This record gives sequence, C-alpha cells and structure tokens, in this order.
Amino acid sequence: MARVSIDPVTRIEGHLRIDVEVDGGTVQKAWASCTMWRGLEKILRGRDAREGWVFAQRFCGVCTTVHAVASVRAVEDALSLEIPPNAQYIRNLILICHALHDHIVHFYHLSALDWIDVTTIPSADPARAASIAEGSSTWQGNSRRELQAVQDKVKGLIASGQLGILSHGYWGHPAMHLSPELNLIFFSHYLQALEFQRKSCQVVAILGGKTPHIQNLAVGGVMNAINLNSLATMNMDRLGMLQSLLQDLIPFVQQVFLVDACLLAASYPEWFHYGRGVANYLAVPDLPLDAKATKFDLPGGVIMNGDLGSVVPIKDWQDKAFRASVTEDSTRAWYQGGGPLQPWKGESTPDYTDFKEDAKYTWVKAPRYNGLPMQVGPLANILVGYASGHALTHKWTNTAFQTISSVHGLNVSTNDMQSTMGRYLARAIRSAMLSDLALEHLQLLTTNILNGDDTTYNPPQFPAGEVTGMGMHEAPRGGLSHWVVIEKGVFTNYQAVVPTTWNASPRDEKGIPGPYETSLIGNPVSDPVKPLEVLRTVHSFDPCMACSCHTLDAGGEEIAQVKVL
Amino acid sequence: MIAPALRVAVIGIGNVFLGDDGFGPLAVETFRCRFECEHTVEIHDLGTPGLDLAPYLYGQDLVLLVDTVQAEGTPGTLSYYCEDDFVSRSARLRVTGHDPGLWEALAHLRLAGQSPSELIIIGVIPESCGFGEGVGAVLLDRASIAADNIANLLVQRGVSCRRRSIPIPQHLWWLPLPEAASLATS
Repeated sequence: MARVSIDPVTRIEGHLRIDVEVDGGTVQKAWASCTMWRGLEKILRGRDAREGWVFAQRFCGVCTTVHAVASVRAVEDALSLEIPPNAQYIRNLILICHALHDHIVHFYHLSALDWIDVTTIPSADPARAASIAEGSSTWQGNSRRELQAVQDKVKGLIASGQLGILSHGYWGHPAMHLSPELNLIFFSHYLQALEFQRKSCQVVAILGGKTPHIQNLAVGGVMNAINLNSLATMNMDRLGMLQSLLQDLIPFVQQVFLVDACLLAASYPEWFHYGRGVANYLAVPDLPLDAKATKFDLPGGVIMNGDLGSVVPIKDWQDKAFRASVTEDSTRAWYQGGGPLQPWKGESTPDYTDFKEDAKYTWVKAPRYNGLPMQVGPLANILVGYASGHALTHKWTNTAFQTISSVHGLNVSTNDMQSTMGRYLARAIRSAMLSDLALEHLQLLTTNILNGDDTTYNPPQFPAGEVTGMGMHEAPRGGLSHWVVIEKGVFTNYQAVVPTTWNASPRDEKGIPGPYETSLIGNPVSDPVKPLEVLRTVHSFDPCMACSCHTLDAGGEEIAQVKVL
Repeated sequence: MIAPALRVAVIGIGNVFLGDDGFGPLAVETFRCRFECEHTVEIHDLGTPGLDLAPYLYGQDLVLLVDTVQAEGTPGTLSYYCEDDFVSRSARLRVTGHDPGLWEALAHLRLAGQSPSELIIIGVIPESCGFGEGVGAVLLDRASIAADNIANLLVQRGVSCRRRSIPIPQHLWWLPLPEAASLATS
C-alpha cells in the first residue's frame, strides 16, 4: 500500500492538499485539506452593512462578483427590500459573464492539461486535425493554417526546452490517450480561449464599472444610471456594445467549448465510471426575473442518493427548508468547538493542530444539509434542472448527449453524468445554457428600459433592532450562501458557506467524509509517483480555495510535491 | 506623423487584508490620485487574480506591475525587474506568492502571440504580511516613491503623464482594518 500526498494541488485557485492511500492501483482512503485560513468574515463584523459587499468581493481573488452579489442579497433579505427589475437584469448579466469566464478558464487553462499530451502535437497531421474539427463544429477558427501555426509554436517550445511553463504536465503518462490530432485541436482552443476570457471581462467591466472588482453594486439595486439621452450613462450605445461582445463570445462557448467537452467525454468514456462520490446534490435558484424574486431562470433543488425522481425544489430564496437545513461542523477543522452550528450562530475561532488525519486536518468546515454532505456545482445545477423538467437544461443536455453519441456511438445518461467526466461535461452544458440566458437578460433589460423604466435602486432603511438575512447565488462552483446578522445597520455576525466548503468538506462529527474525499475512493492510480488520475477527479470540481494566501517562502518552488510514503 | 498612443496598463497586485501584501493596490491608488495620464493608460487594482491576470496583460504595449517580492534584503527595498528576470529557466527569481498566476498568464499569452511588448515589475520587499493588518509604516512611505517611479517610467517611454496640480483624495476603502490581535481571539 502506498500513501500519496499532493501538496499543493496545482492548477487550482488557492492551496489544497490531497492525501490518498493507494492499494492494488486504486484509492482506498482520501483526505482533503485546505492549508490556509480564510478568516475574512471577522473583518466584516462591525462594518456598515451597506458596504459589506466591497469587502466580501475580496474574499477571493477570482470569485469577486460572486461574493459581492451574495452579500447585498443577504442584506436585502434582512430588510425585505425589493430590487428594481433593471438591477436584477444588470446583476444577472454580470453573474452570467463572470461564470462564462470562469468555466472557460477552468476547462482550458486549469484542467485540459490533465487530458491532452502537448508532447504528441509535433506528430499531428494538421490537415487531418482540421478535417476532424471542421466536421464537428461550424466554428471559423479551425482551419488547417490555424492549426499548423499552433503546431509550429509547440514545436518551437519543445525545441527550446521550455515546455515546463505549461503547468508541469504529466507528459507521456499511460492514462493519456488522445490522438495527436485531438491534442492539437484542444491546444489550439486553449490558446484561443484567452481572447474570449477577455471579452467576458469586458462585458463585466461595461456593466460593473471595473473588473475584477465591480463598483456598481448597492444594497437595494445597482448604481448604473440609465438615460437613453445621455452619453455618460446606460444608453443604446452601451447596450449595443454588450450585444456585440456577447455575439462574439457565445459561438466560442456553444461551438467550441461544448463540442470539445463532448469530444473529450467520447474519448475518455471510462471516466464516466469514476468519481461519483457523494450523490446528494444541492443547487440554489438564480437569475431572478422580478423585483420580489419569485421567478427564476435557473431552478434550485435537492436530489438525494443520485435519484433524480427524489428532487425537492427550492422555489425561491425564502425557502424555509433551506434555511433550517444548513449547518457547519468543525469537529475535524482547525476551529474551536465541534458539532453542527446554524450559520447565523457560526463561529470561526482558529485552533490549529497540524495535519492529524484522525482529528483536525483542514481549514475547511463541514457543511451539512439535514446532517448529510452535499455535492454542489454545475453537475448539481444540471441534474436539478433536468429532474425538474427545466426546458433549457433539457435542450443543452440532450444536445451534448447527441453530440457524444454521434462521435463514438456512446450513450450517456443522467446516471453516467454522476462522475468525474460528468462534472466536466456539466460545466460545458451549463455554459451553453448561460450563453442563451445572457442574450435573454440583455433583451429583458433593453425592453424594460425602452418601456420607460429607468429605476435601478431602492434605498435601504435599517431598523434599530437585530435582523437576520441570507443571500444565495448559484456561483460557477456551486451554491453559495452568505448569512448575516445586523444591528443598527452594522454586521454583528457574518458567515459565508461557500461552494468549495461543501465540496472540499472534511469528515464531520459522525466521521462521514465530504464530496472530494468520497469521489476519490476507487479512483485508479497507475503510478503513485505521477498521480494524474487523482488530479483529474479533484480538478473536476474546479477547486477554489479562496486566494488569500501569501506564505510561500523565497525559494519556494510552485511545483507540487508528490510524496509517496 | 504622430505615433499611435501606447496601450499601457499600470497594475497593482496584492491582498489588502494581508499587511504589506497590500502594497501593490496602495501604490497604484497613490499613482492614480497624484498623476494624470492619457486615456490609453489603464490603472487597475487587481487584488489576487491568479490566472485571471491574463485578460489585463493581453495585447498591451507596456505593463507596469507593482507587487511584493520575497527576496533577501531590507524591507521596503524597491527593485525593478523585466520579464526575462523571472520567466527564463535560468533565472529562478520568484516574484511573490502571486507569481504562479503571472508566470502562467505570460506563458499562455506568449504562445497566443498576445503577451505585452514590455513588462516591468516594480517589486518591494515586505516587512510583515499578517492577516488583518494594513500596510506598515515602512512600506507606506515607499508608495509615494513607487508612484513617482511609475510616472518616470511612463514619461521615459513617451507616454503622456503629468503630476496633478491638486491631487485627488485617495480611496483606501479597506482602512482601518480591525486590530489583528482582536481578530484572532474574538
């Protein structure tokens, strides 16, 4: 038996350590440990509740707008404050484009190198690659010349001995088995993705004033001035710019990203059999369509034990079951106390002990829903939508299933989706859905403005007594909730139950492990020194450990240490 | 014929909640308030963006990036690096805890043919990066020097940049932070 410790896991946001025990070529036990303290909630105590979002959007260097919006929604919930429709649409557009950006970066820049072997690209036939790519997509950027140019760049890189800049890939690993042509196609899109990452940032910048930290939010709405007759405000010119950016961005998502995810799935069908893990799924409703947030474009709900028939909807943000069911347990995390606490009563006082696998071993608490671990993220989002009969989810999930089946005759079901590959595919399906929704919400905004509504803000009024609120968001990595207690307009408690906390959860007081840990059981490991297969499953969750760490030493190499004990 | 204006990004990197790590954001805010530039100069406080740095470097002619550097020396020492100082294999200089993002973002952009034509890193050696502290006294003092040097570097490269006759008040929204000691115990 080998004990493998990967610390840190590379190509993720933040610092994560994964330990596995390997026997007979598969993982028998696993531990996920977050190696940095996220104590930012404490900074919010005592702050003016109207300004909480400015701080919350620095919780993480990557998931900025996500926390900003959850924060204002929590305060608005505490005040029962309605939000003008224009503000809902503008926030929704920001959230959609942030998510598209995030999903594109994850698929190409953070995880593609687990599946594509760049060192085979010199032996690819660019003409054949172009014919494969053009046969599977109407995308314009797949010409032989384009692919030839990428191949030449890779040849140059290999000749100069500088391949190491590509995230220390496990080149030549036996678990890599794409043809050189497919490797070339994916790598070409890997480079093209940079341009589209930039375009989605531009949408957020036009609406939010700045990126990555938007400036237009307010408790009660947004601060975007709308006046069709003014050059300095939201006017038809700006709306037209947004439309044209989206029209550039969307084909890349629907005709490149989704098609690549389908090709990857068809090429690695065995990965539909690994990584299922915790098959309880939680998604929260998002993209509200009205001032009172009673209707949503993305449905929320809970699925237990992988049974789509068991779906229980979370209809809106007032859902009593959700509020009553979420707890956080710190029995195995480096905080004082232990058993489950409701987030409004949550505490985060550090109690660091070093990594002790039978006691405390991580900075991540264990969130539970009715006492059980839950998986969150695009897969939960897709499964809940599919189980609830949500038309847009069916449209794009079925498109993906048909594409995969047309390539290699592989039939994928919603049961197969509950796997490592399913999580990659779900992220691409969700992106295709969000692309349709981006256009829809831009249209809703435009129509509402043309109908003469220029309201974007309802001023908040804070009572003297204590009020509690909860703000939800179905973020790129899954269901997020901010829980606030406010007195005289000032936060007296603030807890964020974030997606990666759900997924990277440690064991709880009953010893039940979290989704990362469970998904790794049975995962193949052909070579303990190069645990590529472990990375595939861990990366499938898109870990984001809240980038607030600054503790690398001067000589510290960023290359992950893989220790086999 | 007048040469087209250079596309320039002045970028501050760092976590404003981690003491001296917040130097980058402080320095670019100081620069923004004291100097006025032509409109092709973007000024960004990017926080800790990791790989999401790439869109801000994409296709720029010149990037000036302020960050903390973990190196031997006296805290507060300002140093200047060009891209080759830390990208090439032989030079193993690691610029700060944020540099994994910088390193990879540049590698990607180079391959895509969109890396900045010139990149200068203005690095400062931090004294303390404790959670919940503001930038300490030593580095606070260096922010003005860094701002002046950004202006000099721009002017040397033909970018129009002049000192404001009346500086804009700085917006250091994150200050004051709660006492670090009370954070650990409260």
